[in-house]
Amino acid sequence: MTVTEQEITDYVARVRAALADLPATQRDELTEDLADHLAEFAAETDGTLVERLGQPETYAAELRAAAGATGRGGRNLDQRVASVVARLRGRLRVIDTRLGPVLGYETASEFLRLLRPAWWVLRGYLAAMLVTVISTGGSFWLLPRFGGELLAGLFMLVGFVLASVWLGRRSARLTRWPRWALHASSLVLVIFALAALGNAEDRLGYTDYYYDQTSVDSQYSQIRDVFVYDREGRLVEDARLFDQNGNPIRLGYPDCSRPVDEYGNPLLRPYPYCVEQAPFGHRAPGAVVPTPTVTPGSTATPGSTVTPGPTATAAGAPTATPTGEPTPTPTS
Amino acid sequence: MDTTQLLKGVLDLAVLAVLQEEDGYGYDILRRLREAGLEEVGDASVYGTLRRLFAAGLLTTYVVPSESGPHRKYYALNAAGRDQLTRSGKLWRSFATTMDSLLDDRGMAA
Repeated sequence: MTVTEQEITDYVARVRAALADLPATQRDELTEDLADHLAEFAAETDGTLVERLGQPETYAAELRAAAGATGRGGRNLDQRVASVVARLRGRLRVIDTRLGPVLGYETASEFLRLLRPAWWVLRGYLAAMLVTVISTGGSFWLLPRFGGELLAGLFMLVGFVLASVWLGRRSARLTRWPRWALHASSLVLVIFALAALGNAEDRLGYTDYYYDQTSVDSQYSQIRDVFVYDREGRLVEDARLFDQNGNPIRLGYPDCSRPVDEYGNPLLRPYPYCVEQAPFGHRAPGAVVPTPTVTPGSTATPGSTVTPGPTATAAGAPTATPTGEPTPTPTS
Repeated sequence: MDTTQLLKGVLDLAVLAVLQEEDGYGYDILRRLREAGLEEVGDASVYGTLRRLFAAGLLTTYVVPSESGPHRKYYALNAAGRDQLTRSGKLWRSFATTMDSLLDDRGMAA
């Protein structure tokens, strides 16, 4: 035997390369025992493979013609889809028989068949929950409710479970389209179940972790801004709130645009965020101080508490301004 | 027209016929075809034909270990293969007869 194993391997590799345009299954089918065949061939003849058989590419062309493999475009889409489906089926069957013994049954599908009635019951429950979600507008817990009614929901649950079991026992006798419809709706329910499960998981995590804060949040959740008024009813601007530990109390969120934001982080801003939205009216910063400047004009009449009239109109509480004890400004 | 082109159509039949006589492995089948007069048949053609007939369910295979050299993969006809051989054989006979008389009528010497 003059032909080495390496020579055979190389020859097969080149034949396979020349058949690269064939679908993988077909190429494997043609070449899976080519190496054995060539070894057999080489054992009975003298000379190298190329001397005896010609170039691998020529060999591949002859092989392709003899095996009836046409290559590109040789098979239409239907055939290719069919072959993929057939291959998947074959693979599933292998998995089925492999998994069976692990579960203690001959095949895994035998075990799954036993679980079918359980699936029918679950399907009825899921259908009831889907109706619950639709009829209550998205809020649900573990038991079905029909439009918020628990009793009606339980009746619905029993009805759906019975209907699902009934359908399950008869699904084999259904004709093609009803069976497709049943499968499709089951798929919808499975997707719904997965989404609901994800949702419930989120909610559980949320209540676990934020339990204390949610109760507080709910009480102040509609607060957008804080307005502090002093004893006289004047709006305090740039106020800051702290709790007993010195931690800043943050409430609301600035939703009005300030032209210059000197605080960077909007949540570090003092209250109120939006002076213009003060519920009891406000005084522009400049208007608090001017009280004295008004008096000079009215020739320093001590005790004339009436003069600051103009400011009083601006402020919501008229009593607020006069406390300024109109200190007589030096008469010039 | 050379023999290679003619062979394409009838190689199936030739391989089935050779295997009916006796089971055989790749090189053995090639040798028997050549001995029978199909000298131009190539190994790749025979191997490809065997693969195709096997895939079509007309052949069975079994492996026989060999003392000298690699083990051999034997091919054998099954019921479907024998059936196919009978039908293809008849078809070939009538086709060949038709061709013979066609040529005879026109004075072509055999």
